[in-house]
Amino acid sequence: MNTRIQGGGRRTRAVRRTTSLVAVLALAGVTAAACGGSDDASGTPAADATPVAGGKLTYATIQEPGCLDPGYDPSTVTGVINRNIFDSLVSQTATGETKPWLATSWTVSPDGKTYRFSLRDGVRFHDGSAFDATAVKATFDHAVDPATKSLYAGALLSAYQETRVIDPRTAEVVLERPDATFLQSVGTPSLGIQSPASLRRSAEELCTKPVGSGAFTFVSWTKNRDLVLAKNTAYQWAPDAASHDGPAYLDGITFQFISDDTARFGALTSGQVQVVNNVPAANIRTLKANNSLQYLRADSPGLTFSLLLNPTREPLSDVRVRRALLRAVNLDELVTSVYFGEYRRAWSLLSPTTIGYDKSLEGTWKVDQALANRLLDEAGWTERDGDGFRTKDGKRLTVVWRTGAQLDRDSRGVVAQGVQADAKKVGIDLQYISEDVGTFSQHIFAADLDIWGGSYQRPDGDILRFAFASDQGITKGGGNLYGLNDATLDRLLNEASTTTDTAVRTKNWAEAQQYIIDNALAVPLTVGANLVGASEKVHGLRFEQSSNLAFFDTWLDPTK
Amino acid sequence: MTSTARWLARRLALSVLVVVGAATVAFGALQVVPGDPVHVMMGGAAPSPEVYQQTRHELGYDRPLPVRYGRFLGQLLRGDLGRSYQLHRPVAEVIGSQLWPTVQLALAGFGLAFVVAAALAVATAGRRSGWRRLSSAAELVMISTPGFWVGVLLLTAFSFRLQLFPVAGGDSLDGLVLPAVTLALGLIGVFAQVMREGLERALEQPFVLSARARGSGETAVRLRHALRHALIPMVTLAGWIVGTLLGGAVLVETIFSREGLGRITATAIAGRDLPLVTGVAVVAATIFTLLNIAVDLLYRVIDPRMKEVIR
Repeated sequence: MNTRIQGGGRRTRAVRRTTSLVAVLALAGVTAAACGGSDDASGTPAADATPVAGGKLTYATIQEPGCLDPGYDPSTVTGVINRNIFDSLVSQTATGETKPWLATSWTVSPDGKTYRFSLRDGVRFHDGSAFDATAVKATFDHAVDPATKSLYAGALLSAYQETRVIDPRTAEVVLERPDATFLQSVGTPSLGIQSPASLRRSAEELCTKPVGSGAFTFVSWTKNRDLVLAKNTAYQWAPDAASHDGPAYLDGITFQFISDDTARFGALTSGQVQVVNNVPAANIRTLKANNSLQYLRADSPGLTFSLLLNPTREPLSDVRVRRALLRAVNLDELVTSVYFGEYRRAWSLLSPTTIGYDKSLEGTWKVDQALANRLLDEAGWTERDGDGFRTKDGKRLTVVWRTGAQLDRDSRGVVAQGVQADAKKVGIDLQYISEDVGTFSQHIFAADLDIWGGSYQRPDGDILRFAFASDQGITKGGGNLYGLNDATLDRLLNEASTTTDTAVRTKNWAEAQQYIIDNALAVPLTVGANLVGASEKVHGLRFEQSSNLAFFDTWLDPTK
Repeated sequence: MTSTARWLARRLALSVLVVVGAATVAFGALQVVPGDPVHVMMGGAAPSPEVYQQTRHELGYDRPLPVRYGRFLGQLLRGDLGRSYQLHRPVAEVIGSQLWPTVQLALAGFGLAFVVAAALAVATAGRRSGWRRLSSAAELVMISTPGFWVGVLLLTAFSFRLQLFPVAGGDSLDGLVLPAVTLALGLIGVFAQVMREGLERALEQPFVLSARARGSGETAVRLRHALRHALIPMVTLAGWIVGTLLGGAVLVETIFSREGLGRITATAIAGRDLPLVTGVAVVAATIFTLLNIAVDLLYRVIDPRMKEVIR
């Protein structure tokens, strides 16, 4: 039987909105903190105020895109910018529910391999051409074309076979194998629909002059400085996940690239920009104390900042040593002292806002250095050398954590030092080595790492398959760095990625998370978050499920 | 006159060698740093084998090193700097668009530093007053203060608090002030010390004595007679100054979010963007050699005795 998902009529919108807002606060961990505790409602998403159109917003962001072709560039900032320029077939609510957008409805074949999309009428790209099924085909074909050299979009379509243009209003996407995350992927800005005429241009033009059908049109991009977007006044095809129909409220958005933390935060406090991201945790107190500013945060979904332990190499091949490391780290204390409570400690390899997060892991592996010591004794690391580190047969218990110098952001180096100090308490010599990216990538591709530390922002538990399934080796474009071949994880994760049964997926992802902790294949450290500061003028600033900022419903209060 | 023309022709021919040499060094340096350049250029993302092969082929890394070097030289001699891998644009275009903001910044920084340093030197040279000690101490502090810190201090005071200048100024004149001051502060100390030294030496010369004997006032002696002599060591410093300005631009452009060559270069090196790095090396080497030729030419004008020394 075909599963039919029908787009809701506009009339039912108001009701859905309320429920989804509640869901946002409850599930997505999005907390919009009213600042200064004053009686004005500036900090809250001001549901009662009536939006006013007009005004331009400047958003200072730490990162700058390399290329604006959504089919090519993998970086988060590119997604944030492109979300305004490109529309997708489907939209996602802040909790990850899939809603209609450029596709008004869709059906999935029983074998899960064919998706038939009915497309919205009357949509026009910024270049004036009309949106139809050929645009869907052109966009998806572009993403998987080796000549595009896609760094992310192509991977999202790893199961893609072809798109069939049935008629101008109907597109059928055929997959080689069922892919439960396909719709989720289609909704990301990376697979935002591009104008077919635009796609025939050179790679350079695709990178620098994006043409979509979104609520904002591209105006200019001055490298190292800013990128300017203007309102698309003809916009009448807002996603069902948005709060309003018609064009966006803002007349334009300027993305200003300010990489220096102090300068970026200063630009906000002095009123030169209205929104900044990556507020350093140490500045949050200042932000909260300022009545004319508001503080918003959203936990990022995906892989928490974690250490992936290499079970194929001595000494971490011994599960007791891995478990000892897992239990030796006093995370609660470490994370609080480094991030002043703005980042949470992690309990699972998945962050709490990831679809498929297993909450039951919380509180199950508290710090226990006595246990860690016992495990190491059992593993035979009983002797101690002059520096107090454990030894066995005259060899010191050393594990090496290598990292690329450019990956040390967000005070991660400080966290690393804390982990190192705790490891030393139980006699493990954990060496944290920061090297240039070239050397580091050499180590990665030679698979001679003991520990890899990092995070991945992804919407759902399928990131576990990327990191652990045996067919996701690093040379095949996957993230299974150590070439693991674990039958249990393979079964759980591959089944989760192909089943259409949500219950099975949830159960498998939960089991996989528990399996990873039980076998200490990873040491989850912190839950990353998007820490945003904004002027009190700014209303309707929303986080997507990805924890990226969305500006479609954003408006500026002219009275402030 | 013919000797000067011959000298110039020889110098220009030699400078081509220097530029090719600089490009070769940049090319070579990026070959010996560890890591697969294709992986680094792809930004650490794990590419699929097809995408990896495609990129490798497009970048020419599937061919042996001598072949790549030959192609690189051939392109260079035809004046083709190639395409930046990460910016997806021709290198010449990238450098062309980023050169002017950096030159603007460098000129403003240099001008400011020169004027202030000259004033300090003229006011304090040869005088054993407290002012001189104060000036020397201030110069020492300026030389030893890192630019990134100065930049943040200036931002905090004049942009965040007083709101006189924008944090990220773009190409307006307002936006140039703080970056230029930051860049200048690091140079003032060196300039002032060099000029004061030159001034003091010049003030001991007999021509100063005869100027004074003619009844020139002290200020006129310093400005009209001694300062010109004190400037010769500054001309000698030209190469160093250009290097410092370009290096300083990397920091200043990052802190003040300015567009410019410095920042582009830093990102290109980190990302192993070979065409862009070699392109910048070629442009920088060209500027350096041309400037050195100009300086040597200037010597011959300033001091005809130099003709005998510089060939």
